[in-house]
Amino acid sequence: MRQAQQIRLSAAEETLIAQLKGAGADSTAERISVAGLPTRRVESYHYTDLKTLLRTVPPLAEAANAAEAPALRIAGAYQLTIVNGRLQAAPSAPAGVVVGTAAGDVLSPRDDVLVHINSALAPESLNLHIDGVIEQVIHIDRRSDGPAAHSASAVKIFVAESAKVTIIETFLGSNEAHVGNHATFLAVGTGAEVTHITVDLSARAATHFASNQYEIGPAANLRTLAIHAGAALSRTQLFARFSGEGAHADFTGLNLVDDGKHCDITLDVNHAVPNTTSKEMFKQIARGRSKAVFQGRIVVSRDAQKTDAKMMMQGLMLSDEAEILSKPELEIYADDVVCGHGSTCGELDADWLFYLMSRGIPRTEAETMLVRGFLAEVLDPIKDEALSTVLNGIVDGWLLNGK
Amino acid sequence: MTTPILEIRNLHARIEDREILKGVNLVIPAGEVHAVMGRNGSGKSTLSYVLAGKEDYEITEGEVLIDGEDLLAMEPAERAAAGVFLAFQYPIEIPGVATMTFLKAALNAQRKARGEGELSTPDFMRAVRQAGSDLNIDSEMLKRPLNVGFSGGEKKRAEVLQMALLQPKMCILDETDSGLDIDALQVVSRGVNALRNAGRSMLVITHYQRLLNHIVPDVVHVFSDGRIVESGDKDLALQLEAKGYADFDNAAA
Ligand SMILES: Nc1ncnc2c1ncn2[C@@H]1O[C@H](COP(=O)(O)OP(=O)(O)OP(=O)(O)O)[C@@H](O)[C@H]1O
Ligand SMILES: [Mg+2]
Repeated sequence: MRQAQQIRLSAAEETLIAQLKGAGADSTAERISVAGLPTRRVESYHYTDLKTLLRTVPPLAEAANAAEAPALRIAGAYQLTIVNGRLQAAPSAPAGVVVGTAAGDVLSPRDDVLVHINSALAPESLNLHIDGVIEQVIHIDRRSDGPAAHSASAVKIFVAESAKVTIIETFLGSNEAHVGNHATFLAVGTGAEVTHITVDLSARAATHFASNQYEIGPAANLRTLAIHAGAALSRTQLFARFSGEGAHADFTGLNLVDDGKHCDITLDVNHAVPNTTSKEMFKQIARGRSKAVFQGRIVVSRDAQKTDAKMMMQGLMLSDEAEILSKPELEIYADDVVCGHGSTCGELDADWLFYLMSRGIPRTEAETMLVRGFLAEVLDPIKDEALSTVLNGIVDGWLLNGK
Repeated sequence: MTTPILEIRNLHARIEDREILKGVNLVIPAGEVHAVMGRNGSGKSTLSYVLAGKEDYEITEGEVLIDGEDLLAMEPAERAAAGVFLAFQYPIEIPGVATMTFLKAALNAQRKARGEGELSTPDFMRAVRQAGSDLNIDSEMLKRPLNVGFSGGEKKRAEVLQMALLQPKMCILDETDSGLDIDALQVVSRGVNALRNAGRSMLVITHYQRLLNHIVPDVVHVFSDGRIVESGDKDLALQLEAKGYADFDNAAA
């Protein structure tokens, strides 16, 4: 028998292993015992070394009720609340929306520790079936309440053929060092039109992990937007796969990072069939001593001719100590495709600032206007008025907090 | 005697190690329009930037007063609220900032700084529409991001629109005539003349006497190598047009 080389396990790893064993996820526990959490030597975690960054893992979350954290309300939205992984009493759903719960485990298996942990620990999954044109925005409000806890939650959404829906998921919690591990599986049916937004608004003391898996059917149209504006350590993983021809998706995201934070958006898009298009636009703003990370990989399978994919990362540095990192990758196995990527990083343009100030707009307000302008490309496509107000409010809140 | 709107005394300014303004003296009493003419690179735009408060310059000597107040001690936004307006020689494009949002923010920021209330949206819209139609500016243009995709002449007209809206006390126009077609020159000049009044002064930088047929100045200054070397009435501009700057190169050092 080969003697596995003994690694030194951190307190966080020890706790995780015990929690996974307790949940019967022996193989995941075993992997962490042998390999530990991913370090920078693991390519997909190169910029987010979990072994170093995840210092402690609190006890597993107990069922709690929603009394503690103030909810974020979106005017006119249909709101579903999940607290510590469990769906709270749901109000009656709008026509075309069927709400249910099932056993956890919504993501397809993949070689990723955050996915493994979610599959092992999510107590249940909220299942949504969407049919027809849903005018009301659906708001899934996920919360970590009570004392610091490790909580996993899962959502599975099926959008039927030709249906239309806008879904926003927000992540909030009590002001504790929670570790959240959240998953969403979203299948977009033939010709369906879906907007899916996830916003981390957890306490600074918290850690936020999320994995969103998208299966995109024929002729579907998907827009996604992932925003980090909460936890000091966050990573949102976006795994998308085009499985039907004629579909288009816009993948967008926004890292709002301030002093002491590390936020990571990692995207993996697979154009698996011919004639699909995607646009990836990710913006990162960093101030203080902080780190913003974007990793984007586009894989074009051998049969996926006529794929058109363009990926862009734009960074805005508001301080000298901030770091904005970007790692775009294209893996192309088909020969008749148009793919490209680019990234830019800069500070606020001094001439733009001067122009605004010379008209009487004070510096702080001028900076805010320019930052909003920088983000417009990502936020403006969200047409719902109430939603757009909430998203702009989140950005403004972040900007004001730094002053 | 009443306080002049603008008073510049022995102003020296440098950028990096290069001195560009070398002792500018200029007094503009209320209600007067002064023109400044001078060779390319003589420092005219530098003077306008220094007055508006651009950071790149180091003031090494001299003082500037607006209405008797120390202009150089003010932040750019405070200067604007105090009544300084610079119509840029090269107005820049700012993508992502909607023109109307910008105009409203500027107007209300200035009002607030002066202790006046915010303008209501209908009043604001009316003011913009009025200023726009006076300057033949298509309202569709104002729906675009700030200056984005505007032609050279449209940008210049948009600067004058801002000026009409903000009603500054000290208007500095840096080659507002360059890039304007013949009709636009008339429209813009009419717009500028409409703003002339007893309480407002103007500093009009130009290369062409033609503009001064429309906006008739009270005083014309010749700018050379970082200072004013000659001043006269409007006929000085005609003289310059005929003879060029050579006569003034070594004048009044
Ligand atoms: N950032 C800078 N660094 C170095 N030199 C500069 C800088 N900006 C301006 N200058 C120099 O300062 C001098 C004056 O420039 P300025 O733009 O004020 O001239 P001007 O009189 O407005 O010319 P024009 O008639 O062509 O508009 C020029 O020689 C210019 O090259
Ligand atoms: Mg100039």
